[in-house]
Amino acid sequence: MKESCNNTHTITKTEHISFKETVPVLKISVFLGVVLLLLFLSLFLGPTGIMLPDTATPVGNAIMSLRFNRMIMGLLVGAALSVSGVVFQAVLRNPLAEPYVLGVSGGAGLGATFAILFGAVAAIPLSLPFAAFISAVATLFLVYGIASKGSGGTPSVYSLILSGVIISAICSSLIMFLVSMASVEGLHNVIWWMLGNLQPPPLSQRLVAAVFIIVGIAGSMLLASRLNALTLGREMAHYQGINADVVILVALLCATLIAATAVSIAGMIGFVGLIVPHVMRALFGPDHKMLIPLSALGGGTFLAVCDAFARSVLAPIEIPVGVVTALAGGPFFLLILQRKMRGAWIG
Amino acid sequence: MANAALKFDGVTAGYRGRTVLENLSFVIEEGEFVSLAGPNGCGKSTLLKTAAALLKPLDGSVYLFGDDIRTLRPAQRAGLIGVVPQKVESPMAYSVMQIVMNGRTAMTGLLHGFSDHDFVVIERSMIYTNVLHLRDRYFMELSGGEQQRVILAMVLAQEPRILMLDESIAHLDINHRYEVLRILKRINREKKVTVFLVSHDLALSAEVAGRLMLMNRGGIVSEGRPDKVLLPDLLEQVYDCELQVRNDPVTGSIHVSGVLDDLKSIGNKNTTVHVIAGGGTGIELFRRLLVDGFTITSGVLNGMDSDAEAVRALDIEAVIEKPFSPIGYPALALALEKALKADIIIVTDVPFGPGNLVNLDIARKALANGKKVLIAQGIAGRDYTEGKQAGKLAAEMVDEGALVWNSLHELMRMVNRES
Repeated sequence: MKESCNNTHTITKTEHISFKETVPVLKISVFLGVVLLLLFLSLFLGPTGIMLPDTATPVGNAIMSLRFNRMIMGLLVGAALSVSGVVFQAVLRNPLAEPYVLGVSGGAGLGATFAILFGAVAAIPLSLPFAAFISAVATLFLVYGIASKGSGGTPSVYSLILSGVIISAICSSLIMFLVSMASVEGLHNVIWWMLGNLQPPPLSQRLVAAVFIIVGIAGSMLLASRLNALTLGREMAHYQGINADVVILVALLCATLIAATAVSIAGMIGFVGLIVPHVMRALFGPDHKMLIPLSALGGGTFLAVCDAFARSVLAPIEIPVGVVTALAGGPFFLLILQRKMRGAWIG
Repeated sequence: MANAALKFDGVTAGYRGRTVLENLSFVIEEGEFVSLAGPNGCGKSTLLKTAAALLKPLDGSVYLFGDDIRTLRPAQRAGLIGVVPQKVESPMAYSVMQIVMNGRTAMTGLLHGFSDHDFVVIERSMIYTNVLHLRDRYFMELSGGEQQRVILAMVLAQEPRILMLDESIAHLDINHRYEVLRILKRINREKKVTVFLVSHDLALSAEVAGRLMLMNRGGIVSEGRPDKVLLPDLLEQVYDCELQVRNDPVTGSIHVSGVLDDLKSIGNKNTTVHVIAGGGTGIELFRRLLVDGFTITSGVLNGMDSDAEAVRALDIEAVIEKPFSPIGYPALALALEKALKADIIIVTDVPFGPGNLVNLDIARKALANGKKVLIAQGIAGRDYTEGKQAGKLAAEMVDEGALVWNSLHELMRMVNRES
């Protein structure tokens, strides 16, 4: 009996072995190769010159470890912002959705500014990521609440984005207000942080951030096939037996967690969360099972490489990495999008 | 005893501050093909959303195969009931295959991918709906009919035991509509899937469904065999307008149409036209004459002939003989009376045989009485009488002043000139 069961199973397997999802193995291998190469090359760049530091000397060793740490920071933050963009775009079915548009980054920034200016960061260890996360979640719920007021129950995408933009604007003016009232010393910290940079924070903060980001990305990956279904709309997803409201809530929390964590350790770095998901979708299609890990990798590498340029192009002056992401990435991405947008997002 | 596929038990449902369904109860048995029809805003969509647990009832309960819908987990529910909405849009460039896979997502665990069994079901659904060859195409680039079949494949991949369609075939053109209907019929027959079709199209509902439910103002006003539900009085009450219900004697299908009664009020010509037609040769002419404002009489026609159905639908005064019978004396006299009251007599390109040859006598007598007679060209080719009497009669009439017309366009010009 058992044997016959096994047999039929094998037959089905062989019969339908060709009927599977097709994974573009070659494309992904090439992508991984390029990513590893770029990451390796990013270690060559730094304010001390274009070359690999000599790790035999203590100075070279220190430089190497500094560059390596910044590369890891770039990977973490870039991955966080990109995946957060992917998830927001899927849940809201809108190509413009990203942490900034929804006010999540603004909220995280406001929380972080508070923590820096009122000395919490100095007094309580790890208060920065927590402050950023809590205020980001609070902002998300505020945006969600305002958006659903008019529509009773679930808010429409338009009202979500509208209230997100408004709350975002309020958050940035509050940040401006706090900055203008700040003491000189606090001012410097806040401005430096607001420009966005990948200077590694203390190890404990980095570890917590890494855990948050990895948990958030893993959570998003678990929801990947459900996010696919959600892009057909909340109603259709419900008919297909997906607990749409729970999936939306958990996905939004994951995306908020990673975006807020990224903001708390690296400040405001724009552009990555919006554009990386689009480029990855153009290259690999919209299936979130692949899109999320590939966006994490692609976004992380993109930010790490941009940071390598930011710290070395005008050395010893360091350009804010957000400037590089926009200036260097923009034209390149526009090129790809123009050629491949058709395969990424319709409408 | 088997449980009903879908059972509404005293369901009241609606949206904020507005109840749409009022204490609604009905049962759909497993394996049935049921249509739901009703005017806009009568609650069809609300009923469907409530059945799929998208909308919670304010009162009462919904049962799916015996289970209260509130006790079912979402994935369980999706394995029982599948919904094909009117239109599904994907903002991203998913392939057909990826779209269909969504149908099985809820059945896979968070940590597990799709199993071999899932792919077997997905492939089978795509074969059933004839979309396998489209698997690598972009969903949003497909035609409306293809998209609808892909969505059907996606919903079938859930392996539902009852399938609900919300107006999802309304916007398809006729061949795609019937293709989807054939698929539904087949699923219903072979897989014993219960089908619940919500549709505006009364004729279509009547054609495919074993049972028709007619809804109005949140309640079911009638249900049963389509020909027992589609009654003119009931429909006029439900749709609040004048309607024609016609049974096609050949196919047994039921046609419901509105009445273009204001057609007759458009024109105010004082000219009366008597039309000698039959076999459907008069339908388009009737319509054009009505639009141009002529008063029309017609006859003699045989009952159940499509021209007889047309004069009934258009409310044209006509003399009707019994179906499939030669034209007898009383009808002939009545028709002659009408022809003599008319100003113009038109003979369409109807074939003539021994049964209706007397209609030409009517034309001839009218001609002798000074009426204009317009005869369709080529009557000899449609003459099935002994000794080609119709052709001879027509030729004689032309000699006596009758005119010959070639096309409807030409005929309408002639008629308008005469009036």
